[in-house]
Amino acid sequence: MSLKILFLDELKGFYKSKVMIILWVGMPLLSLLFHYIVPDAEGIPISSIVAIIFSSIGGMLASAMLSTSIASEKVRHVYDLFLIRPVRRTNILLAKFFAVYLCLIIATGISLAVGLIIDQLTIGNLPEYVVDQAIESLSISLAAMAISCSIGIFFGVMVSSVPVAAILSVYLGNQLSAISILPTLFIDFIDPIIFSLLICSIVPTIILTISITIFARKQF
Amino acid sequence: MNRQNRGENNKALIEFQTVSKSYKNTLALDKVSFAINKGDVFGYIGPNGAGKTTTIKILVGLIRDYTGDVYIAGKNISKSRQEIYKILGYHPQEAGFQRWRTIDHTLRTFGRLSGLESTHLESKIREVLEFVNLQDVRYKKIIHLSGGMIQKLRLAQTLLNDPQILVLDEPLSGLDPSSRYQVKNLIKNLSQKGITILFSSHILTDIQDIANKIGIVNNGRIIKIGSPDELQSEFHIGNIIEIVYNKGGNPCPNLENINGIERIEIGASNKQFAHLKGDADIDDTIHRILRKITEHKSKMRNFRILTPSLEEVYLKYIEGDIR
Repeated sequence: MSLKILFLDELKGFYKSKVMIILWVGMPLLSLLFHYIVPDAEGIPISSIVAIIFSSIGGMLASAMLSTSIASEKVRHVYDLFLIRPVRRTNILLAKFFAVYLCLIIATGISLAVGLIIDQLTIGNLPEYVVDQAIESLSISLAAMAISCSIGIFFGVMVSSVPVAAILSVYLGNQLSAISILPTLFIDFIDPIIFSLLICSIVPTIILTISITIFARKQF
Repeated sequence: MNRQNRGENNKALIEFQTVSKSYKNTLALDKVSFAINKGDVFGYIGPNGAGKTTTIKILVGLIRDYTGDVYIAGKNISKSRQEIYKILGYHPQEAGFQRWRTIDHTLRTFGRLSGLESTHLESKIREVLEFVNLQDVRYKKIIHLSGGMIQKLRLAQTLLNDPQILVLDEPLSGLDPSSRYQVKNLIKNLSQKGITILFSSHILTDIQDIANKIGIVNNGRIIKIGSPDELQSEFHIGNIIEIVYNKGGNPCPNLENINGIERIEIGASNKQFAHLKGDADIDDTIHRILRKITEHKSKMRNFRILTPSLEEVYLKYIEGDIR
């Protein structure tokens, strides 16, 4: 029950935040802009480029947003008033993770849709490979963003300084989220979609479990 | 004694039994034991860093690794957490709120998390906002609230679940005089409703006209517990007798020769202060003073024993004069 309340609450907070407004509006605009700056893009569909850019920028911003929000709320003792009620500490972190991740999924969907529309207008009827690449890029993006978000949670829990949490999550979050992409580039027999889904499930689960365990032992 | 039945066997609603807590190498609480009865307003006072917040955080469940036992309504809080949540309201010393929320949104979330039904929630929010006089800024964002408003919001959220016990950690700290007065009155109103209150402060005047029981804590140990009257009467700082003579009247001379008097101090406006010796029999000494004044035919307007102020009592305890 508390997870549902907290999730809906965090969703309400995050979807209106400045960072999310950048993602909601800025990324689809970036798709359009990219089309005009690099109209040819060496044959790579705009939808694929958008997905990759989104996973990088979106993941980075979300990671920083999560880490700074948790670190700052921890320092300001915001959680005291939650924890004196029947609220599980686990739910506080999971609510944040799922709220931000859902916002990212929706924002990625919008940007990718804009990318596909541009591809449709420039290429004509979308060839099968473009759609396949779009799906592939989407799955890789979602995996990378899930990892970034979980790293944001981790540094938010671990660090008490807001700037340090932001720097660590932006830098390391971005580096670590690349593991969802790199193997598919170098190893031919790996199916990018299946690999992304696996990575997207396993890595964030491990990082979140560690974060939750540490958070549960924190003294407030 | 069957621990589950503790609350039924005595009146204590809150009970600490030899509770200790350390932070790394620092002993924050050292075998603290005290009890608060139903309806009490317990002023928990001590200097900064004395252990007040640690005691309170243990009571509300924010600190769980401690030794000893804490009971609320006869139930050990480490085993009955879910039941305790329902009867407890907590005003933290420094807890912040998520700044993007409005007052309404904050209370709505805390109300839901406390298990209030949606139908009841709206009227409850209106009621607590009226109580703390924040109804006009209900939809204002937290980021735009003043310190006094935040403090009132902290108080408002404690009342959402109609608590039987209110734990207020320094509720008057950082407030301007006007806000202090308002919050103090709110606490008085709550105590009149019969709610048991534990109220911490490092300023004695904050609690002396609200509390019916005072616990003095220093260096993690409870030094003294008692009613304000008990604390004042238990030890007499100097035992001073004030004698006020009529205007133009003659103060009685040679009072210092009376057995039991250490010295006589002459005050302004025809006053004399007789400082009694530590081992003086106060009744006997008063009798001798009055007889001497009568013999001398001094015209006296007032005669009284000066009791120490709570402030003096508190300082004496904290300074370690009486241990």
